[in-house]
Amino acid sequence: MQKELISSHATNVFLGKLGDVLIKAIDKPLGYALNWGRLWSLWPVHIETACCSVEFGAASGPRYDVERFGIIEAFGSLRQCDLVVVQGTITRKMAPRLRMVYDQMPDPKYVIAMGACAITGGLYFDSYNVLPGIDGVIPVDVYVPGCPPRPETLIQGCMLLQEKIKRMKVR
Amino acid sequence: MITPLPPGIQLEKVDDRIMTLNVGPQHPGSGHMRLIIKVDGDYIVSCDPDPGYVHRGEEKMAEYRNYIQNIPHLERPVIHDSCNILYPYCLAVEDLLGLEVPERAKYIRVIASELNRCVYTLYWLAIYGIFLGHSTMFMWPVGDREFCIDLLEAMSGARVTHAYFVPGGVRNDLPANFEERCLRQIDYFEKRLKQYEDIFYQNPVLKQRTEGTGVLSRMDAIRLGTTGSVLRSAGVDFDVRKKEPYDVYDNLDFQTQVLKEGDSYARSRVPYLDMLESCRIIKDALKKMPKSGSVRTKLKPNPKGGNDEVYRRVESGRGSLGMYVVSDGKPEPYRVKISVGSFRNLICMPYLLKGEKLGNMPAVYWSLNYWPVEADR
Repeated sequence: MQKELISSHATNVFLGKLGDVLIKAIDKPLGYALNWGRLWSLWPVHIETACCSVEFGAASGPRYDVERFGIIEAFGSLRQCDLVVVQGTITRKMAPRLRMVYDQMPDPKYVIAMGACAITGGLYFDSYNVLPGIDGVIPVDVYVPGCPPRPETLIQGCMLLQEKIKRMKVR
Repeated sequence: MITPLPPGIQLEKVDDRIMTLNVGPQHPGSGHMRLIIKVDGDYIVSCDPDPGYVHRGEEKMAEYRNYIQNIPHLERPVIHDSCNILYPYCLAVEDLLGLEVPERAKYIRVIASELNRCVYTLYWLAIYGIFLGHSTMFMWPVGDREFCIDLLEAMSGARVTHAYFVPGGVRNDLPANFEERCLRQIDYFEKRLKQYEDIFYQNPVLKQRTEGTGVLSRMDAIRLGTTGSVLRSAGVDFDVRKKEPYDVYDNLDFQTQVLKEGDSYARSRVPYLDMLESCRIIKDALKKMPKSGSVRTKLKPNPKGGNDEVYRRVESGRGSLGMYVVSDGKPEPYRVKISVGSFRNLICMPYLLKGEKLGNMPAVYWSLNYWPVEADR
C-alpha cells in the first residue's frame, strides 16, 4: 500500500496536480506583471522605410513626446528592440530586408503598420515596385491610417497596442 | 540549419586586413539606404552607396494621371519640403498650358516655399545633431519646426503634405491675421537661430569632429555635379533663386551664402545661414505682397498641353530641383522627369569617405544634405 503511494506514477500525478494548482494561482498575476513590464518599454527598431519617418521623428520630438508612453527610439541593436514601426511604403527591394529584421528580433515582438502605404499600398497602389500592404510580409498588430498619420494618430496607435498587450496571454 | 540568404545579398570573401561592413538599411547611422563600406582598421578604404530602397516609380505613375491628379503623389518624395518639390512642376505645367499666375499668388508661393525650406532644414539639422550624438540639437529644431508647421498648416490645412501649389497659383488664400502671426513667428525664430549658433556651431566637440573631414575642393564640387549647400560650401556662388529667378525672387532682397572650406562643418553651416536668409525673404515678401486679389487662375477641366516640352528648376532645401515635363497633346503628360539635388550630392560620397575614419562617416554622410526617399523617387 505504502509502496504504491510513493510509486513514480503517483508522484507524477501528484506533482502534475500541484503544478496545475500553482499555475492557476500565479498565472494571472505573473502574466499581468510580465505584460506590464513589456507595456512600458516598447522600443522601436530604427528601420525607416519611407517618408512617414518624418512624422515618426516629430512624434519623438518635444511637442508630442512618445517617450511619455515608454516608447524610446532606441539607437541601438535590433536585438534589444520589441517593436517594428513600419514607417511607410515597402518596396520589392525592402521587403526581404524587413522580414530579416523581423526574424532577427527576439520574442515577444509587435508590429505597427504606419501610414496608408504600409496598410494597402496607399497612393502607390498602382506602382510597379510597391507591395500592396505589409501583412503578406510580417504579421501586423495595429494599423495606423493616414498619409502620413499625424503624430497624435501614431500615439493613439501605440496606446491601442499597449491595450492589446495588456490582454495578451503569456506563453 | 542555416537559413538561406534572401536574393540580392551575397557574402563576400574577406581579405586579411580589409573588412566589409554593411551600414543599413537597418542601422542608426543610415537612412533608407545601404552603404557598403570596406575598412582597414579604423579607416575607410572604399564606400559604395546602394540606394533604391524607396524607389516607388513616381515618374511612371505621373504618366497615367492628369496634370492636377499628379500633384499629391509628386510631393511625396520629400514630404517635409513639399512646396519646393511641387514648385518646378507647377512652373513647368503653367508654361505648357500657358497660364498666368496672379501677383498675390506669386508672393504667397515664395512665403510658403521659404517656410518649407526652414521646416526641411530644421529636420535635417535635427538628424545631423542626433547622428553626432548631440541630443539637444535633435530636440530644439524638432520643437521649433512645429511652429513653422503651424503656419503652413494654417495656410494649407495639412501638417506636412500640403499640396498647396497648383498650376495657376495656390489652392486657397491666406487665413485671417496671417501676416501678423507670421511676422511674430519669424522674429521668434530668428532669436532661436542665434542660440543654435552658440550651442551647436561654436561647440568645440562638433568642430573637432567636422572641421577638416570630408573636404571637397571647388573643382571637384563642379566636376562631380553637386548642387545646393554642398556646392555653395565649396566656394561656388550658385543659387537658382539668383541665377534664374522664378516668380518674384528678383524683386526680393536676399544674398547667397557661400563658404570656402568645403568640409563637413561648412556643409552643415550653409543650410543654417540659408535659414536666416529665408527669414529675410519672408519678411520682405510680406511687406511687398499685394494685400488683396485673386490667388488662382481657373483651369479648364482636364486641361491639355500642346506638343511641347518644358524644363523648369527651383532652389529646394537640397539644391536645384528640376522637372522636365513632356506633353503630347493628351490630358496626361507624356513624361515627367524629376531631377533631384539629393541624388547628385550622393555621387560625391565615395570620394569624400575614402581615407576617413569610420566614426566620421555619419558626419560626412548627413552633411551632404541627402534625403534618400527623394533620391530614389
